[in-house]
Amino acid sequence: MNCEVCQLKELEVEHYEIREVLRCILHTIVFHRALGLVRPKDIDLELFDITYVQCGDEDLEKKIEEKIEQFIGWVEKHPNKKSQICLSFYEVKNRQPSWFTNKIERLYWEQWYVNWNVAQHPKAHSSKSHHSKVVLDPGESALEETNARRAALEASLREALFQIIKFVNEKKDHVPPIPNPEGVVYFPYEITIPSSSDSTFGMDMIKRMLQTGHPTMLS
Amino acid sequence: MFLPRDMDFPSNPQPELGKLEQIVYQFLLKSLHIILDSRVSSLHPRDRSGDLSSASRVRKSDKWFNLVLGDRPAALDNLSFWHRNLMDPMIIDVILVREGSNLVGVSAETVIERWVVQYEYPRVVAAQTGENSTLYKKTYKRSIILLRALYTHMRLLPAYKIFRQLSTSSQTYNFDIIYKVSSFSDPFSRADEEMMEEYSFTPVEAFPGRLCISVTYRSTLTEFKLEPSTSLPPRIITDYVGSPDTDPLRSFPSSEKGVHGISFPLRPVRAPSSVPLQRPHSWTSGFHRATFSAQNQPIVGSPPAYRPSALPYDYSSPPADMYSNRAQHYRMPIHQRAISYDDYQLSPPFSPSPSPSSPSYISSGNPMHTLMRPETAPVSIPFPMTSRSSRFLSPNSFDPNRSSLPPLSLRSRKTEPSSQESPCGTASFRKIEALRSGEMQNHYAGQKMIRDSRDDSGRFSGLLSSSGSPRIGFSRSSSRLSFQDDLDDNDFSCPFDVDDVDTLDFEARKSQDAAVGVLVHTLRTAPPLRQDPSCYSSHSMKIELEGGVTSASGLFMPRKTADALEELRSYGEMKDLLLSKSGALVFSKDET
Repeated sequence: MNCEVCQLKELEVEHYEIREVLRCILHTIVFHRALGLVRPKDIDLELFDITYVQCGDEDLEKKIEEKIEQFIGWVEKHPNKKSQICLSFYEVKNRQPSWFTNKIERLYWEQWYVNWNVAQHPKAHSSKSHHSKVVLDPGESALEETNARRAALEASLREALFQIIKFVNEKKDHVPPIPNPEGVVYFPYEITIPSSSDSTFGMDMIKRMLQTGHPTMLS
Repeated sequence: MFLPRDMDFPSNPQPELGKLEQIVYQFLLKSLHIILDSRVSSLHPRDRSGDLSSASRVRKSDKWFNLVLGDRPAALDNLSFWHRNLMDPMIIDVILVREGSNLVGVSAETVIERWVVQYEYPRVVAAQTGENSTLYKKTYKRSIILLRALYTHMRLLPAYKIFRQLSTSSQTYNFDIIYKVSSFSDPFSRADEEMMEEYSFTPVEAFPGRLCISVTYRSTLTEFKLEPSTSLPPRIITDYVGSPDTDPLRSFPSSEKGVHGISFPLRPVRAPSSVPLQRPHSWTSGFHRATFSAQNQPIVGSPPAYRPSALPYDYSSPPADMYSNRAQHYRMPIHQRAISYDDYQLSPPFSPSPSPSSPSYISSGNPMHTLMRPETAPVSIPFPMTSRSSRFLSPNSFDPNRSSLPPLSLRSRKTEPSSQESPCGTASFRKIEALRSGEMQNHYAGQKMIRDSRDDSGRFSGLLSSSGSPRIGFSRSSSRLSFQDDLDDNDFSCPFDVDDVDTLDFEARKSQDAAVGVLVHTLRTAPPLRQDPSCYSSHSMKIELEGGVTSASGLFMPRKTADALEELRSYGEMKDLLLSKSGALVFSKDET
């Protein structure tokens, strides 16, 4: 079984927009992969005119929130960096313990990469000074700029959601059988955020490759 | 013959072929449910909390494809009825209904989305690879994913936004969304096609065929100018006599409960245009009617468009017919849609609605705060169920020639001048119907005069012999007649003031029958309407200024302004006289 990978288009976000956008994307992906019995829950974004769907599972929500908080913490420590979050689905395979590892093997069958470009305008004064040269009406142009950027981000987010739907539709063969048809069961998943070290995210991927002994197809 | 059975999969012990049928059938049902659920507001608000452990038990049939959606629209119950052949496409048209731009306009209907869900059966069946059970499990799993994608997709298309507007806002809008399900459809015109985009979901293999979903949708709805309907022509004032909320008469013993249910739309945001279109045809859930031209005549399989949004109104006695243009073009669509009316029985609508109170001529939102404008509707008297049902069963008798009239109930548009002996309410009702005339000023003035006269406790006898325009106010005034001694409200600036409402409410509950009796008598003895609005207006204004003491006997005669002024002057003199006398009395008392 091969591992399908989906790279979502890069999103340019402001710091305060991360939470909503990330929540939206992660929940949308999981909704299409949580194939157990769900009662879908519609959530309206506050910052954007978009409604996405959650599975309505509390555990899931908690886990995703935790990860989002971790990611935001990381972004604060590493400003102005492009970053990536990886949401992976795997199958648990019991493998013979070998000299390599005793861990239970995870067979990743799907990976989603959410690419970020977090714009940093954290301080109000910095933006003011940026526009201080503008004679006419600094406040308004900044507002227009913000609005334009916000609109662009909304369009990108919508694009990303369509991208998810398209991917989910086109590639279904690799989805393993549902582990347990009864109850609310999802495929095991994991959300990987960049580590606190300054190493590139690719190091984590290499580590994973070594662990699973499985080639990942990074595009 | 495909026989859909509502059974669980895969525990179904049916043979393999039955499994495929089940999957296909349930797939159609589920996709229909998903689509309707996010385009057409249903009667029962769906539990969108995502909480599976909520009190409502998840029905077995709802567990298909692991997507719990809750209450099903009534159309789903009929799917098996009309969708005979599982291989026929199921075409769901999401239709935007907009009110006409002019008073007599019809509502415009545009297909904004067309969903096609189909089990495609190939001409040449490929060889089967793999076991049946594995195949079906795969198909089922992939269908789950497809339906999830469909669910998400529904919320990303433009139509979702306006659906949300309708279903969540408390405002009234100038549009509505309805749907039509059929197994065939008229192709779009070239112009329409250019405005639309297409999207197809990847089909799911369901050996020997495959399950397909595709949609053609309008990429933008901004051209439609969908907005809250705020600036409409005269609205029905709800706090006039006979209003469920204000009028004592309305609360006949049998009807207390249903009042609120019928006064206002249960779902506050239904475009009025949808109401008259629906009213006689979609009383009960599941009642279908066609919306399109005759060439859509289904033969067997195409159910007419179903307007579930009407359903809240189904249980309201009169239509929530707020605007005159609504009422006016009420009949138009009926005649245009010649196909189906004969086919569908117009069932009496109001079994569930207990309240006889007429006027759910509701203005939007909160009727209690609706202020009357001079040109507002005449009141209508609450009437019992009997009259109501007869009224609604004969929509075609309504007079479409209402031009400048304020919003009247369809009922009150009948011009039936003759009075009849009948139970109080019914008679009143018929009388009120006879009252419609073009002179709203008359009505307004008449009401004012009535009120003025009411304020004077000794005067109401004059009302009984009154005539003409004041008839309009009778229902209201008569309700007061019995408690005029309790009246303390001297503010007659507007007969439909909230103040009046409060007063009425407070005293309303006594002697309703007496009030109705008086009303009937008044109506019976009322002379024809007068034709000189200007006189009334000025007269009433004067009366108001002077504090409302008028002579009831002269109340309803045609008068000139000069006469009115003369009378006022005399009253003023009388008043002075009385005051001076009482002043002397007091003075003398104090001295002693």
